[in-house]
Amino acid sequence: MRLLLVEDEEKLARLVKRALVAERFSVDVAHDGRTGFELAKSYDYDLIVLDLLLPELDGSEVLRRIRRFNPHVPVLILTARDSVAVKVAHFEAGADDYLTKPFALAELMVRVKSLMRRGTARRESILRVGNLELDRLTQQVRWRGKRIELTAKEHGLLEYLMANSGRVLSRSMILDHVWDQSFHGATNIVDVYVRHLRGKIGGDEQKLLRTVRGVGYVISDEESA
Amino acid sequence: MNTRSIRFRLAAWYAGLLAGLLVLFGVFIYFTLEQFLEISLRETLSREAQTIGEALLRNVNDTGEDYVIKEMEEHFAPRITSRFLRVTRKDGSLLYESGLPENHAFDPRQIPTERLDGLRQWREEQVTDGSALLIYSLPFADRAGNPYLIQAGAPYEQVQSVLHELLFSLAIALPLIVGIAVGGGYLFMRKAVQPLNEIATTAERITSRNLNERVPVAPTGDEIEKLGISLNRMMARLEESFHHINRFSADASHEIRTPLAIIRGELENAHHSPEMTPEMRETVRSALEEAERLSRIVEQLLEISRLEAGETLVDRSRFDFTEMTRSTVEQMRLLAEEKRLQLIFEGADPLDIEGDRMRLKQIVVNLVDNAIKYTPEGGSISVSNFGMDGKAVLEVADSGIGVPPEAAAHIFDRFYRVDKARSRQLGGTGLGLAIVKSICIAYGGTIAIRYPDGPGVVFRVELPLDSSRI
Repeated sequence: MRLLLVEDEEKLARLVKRALVAERFSVDVAHDGRTGFELAKSYDYDLIVLDLLLPELDGSEVLRRIRRFNPHVPVLILTARDSVAVKVAHFEAGADDYLTKPFALAELMVRVKSLMRRGTARRESILRVGNLELDRLTQQVRWRGKRIELTAKEHGLLEYLMANSGRVLSRSMILDHVWDQSFHGATNIVDVYVRHLRGKIGGDEQKLLRTVRGVGYVISDEESA
Repeated sequence: MNTRSIRFRLAAWYAGLLAGLLVLFGVFIYFTLEQFLEISLRETLSREAQTIGEALLRNVNDTGEDYVIKEMEEHFAPRITSRFLRVTRKDGSLLYESGLPENHAFDPRQIPTERLDGLRQWREEQVTDGSALLIYSLPFADRAGNPYLIQAGAPYEQVQSVLHELLFSLAIALPLIVGIAVGGGYLFMRKAVQPLNEIATTAERITSRNLNERVPVAPTGDEIEKLGISLNRMMARLEESFHHINRFSADASHEIRTPLAIIRGELENAHHSPEMTPEMRETVRSALEEAERLSRIVEQLLEISRLEAGETLVDRSRFDFTEMTRSTVEQMRLLAEEKRLQLIFEGADPLDIEGDRMRLKQIVVNLVDNAIKYTPEGGSISVSNFGMDGKAVLEVADSGIGVPPEAAAHIFDRFYRVDKARSRQLGGTGLGLAIVKSICIAYGGTIAIRYPDGPGVVFRVELPLDSSRI
């Protein structure tokens, strides 16, 4: 899997590259729009991560030009500008996803993976982590083969965690996916739901759903994520 | 009628000024005319006396006294013209005396005779009905040297009646002129003041959201045009500085967000690094927490400034406020139960409002979350929805620690904390209520704090109901 990262802020580029390489992607980095566009034209990338404010050639213009010869490559926009109007404009120009700075690296990884999956692999209908099983079609959850009842929000939370098993998800990521932006004022709602969910899937003695202090939550059947 | 309006005050001033000037003018005319009439009366009387002397008395010895009497009667017709004429001989006997005038203004017989010596040339004689007779006396000698006294008189009333007529005319004309001038002026002023009203209406409409509007300016070259141009220039300057601020916060957001992204990324990486000792990991964790809080603060500050600039109102739809509140409260029920708080929702009637559902939901989330945070275990929170006077009302009441009255005025300010240590410990950014207020204002609503009889506080939000309901 080969990615192109177009980001003029060198430190941030290095950081994102390191995180992507750790996920076994091979990453090319361009520090300005013109170089980015030249690279995008020369190689067949699986995904492009594009900053908007770039020297030489503006990110929006890079996106427009890329779309002219390659309408399919997924493009994830990274930017510090996040007004609704700007967002809408870029989705219309052909961006596939949008992430506002400052973002959590984990969030970026989740988005990148989901964009890569799109179109290529089908969504698995049954998610499994350890003894836990979640059927996306029938909306049923089993713990050691035994059916457990979850509320809609608990189900959404569990599904999101399981779909990204082994990855630490921050509270704000969980809020954005399971609730919506309007709940950002109430950050401990995630903690409360996680506590309830934990109670239902095997109690406190099991280590399936762990808290990573200060960062967020992770579901995995390994000892360390 | 607004008695403080420029229009009224100008009209009143002009009416006063005009009336004053006209009265002064009338007084001036009156006295000038009076003087003029008296002088001309005196001239007439002295001329008549001269004529009697020169034309008749001089030759009395040739023509005889009867001729003189007849001539005087015919020539001067004193009965008709209300003249008093008398010719006295040297011994005081009468040669001629005019008869009672037709209008009975005076009786010539009651006017005392004059002696030739110690004679006054002009005198006024009071007559029966209180008016005065002006009498001119002229000593005259005929050719033979016999002295006579010629007296010619006329009642002052002749002057007075002209003056009375003048007064009468003035009394009618003066109010009429003032009335016409003021009425006309008032109507004309309406036309003149109209552009001012238009300017006021437009200026009233302009807020931070439509600073590009301008007041109407008619090219009349007058002070109102000047005012309009000045206002428009001021608004252009305001608009520019507003844009400047918005541009600044957009630029600032970029400048702050990128380093923040780097800090968070570096800390995340460090946190996952296997070489970390537990103490170092704890330090990194704490730094990461603060970096996240800083991100939240930056986000929320930007959100407030965007709301204030009216940027995010693109996403509008009509929905039921009651239903949205009810479902949001349900979603937050678990939070309340964790603290063993009773969370009650009341609201039956659908309340259609228009706006960005996500943002308006944030009002409910922030207020209920706030109530949960500041209500001690075992307390209760009541959320209610109802319609009132074309407004959709949301009330969030708690039985919590309340807000000190001196803090009520600042509670919606950015970064205001009633109890600094406590709220920071609860993980707030100090911006929750400021955001709620900004959202309320952005959608044409209001928010207020109220103290119930018991403990706690009530936050009351009012939003305009969507009237275009089908």
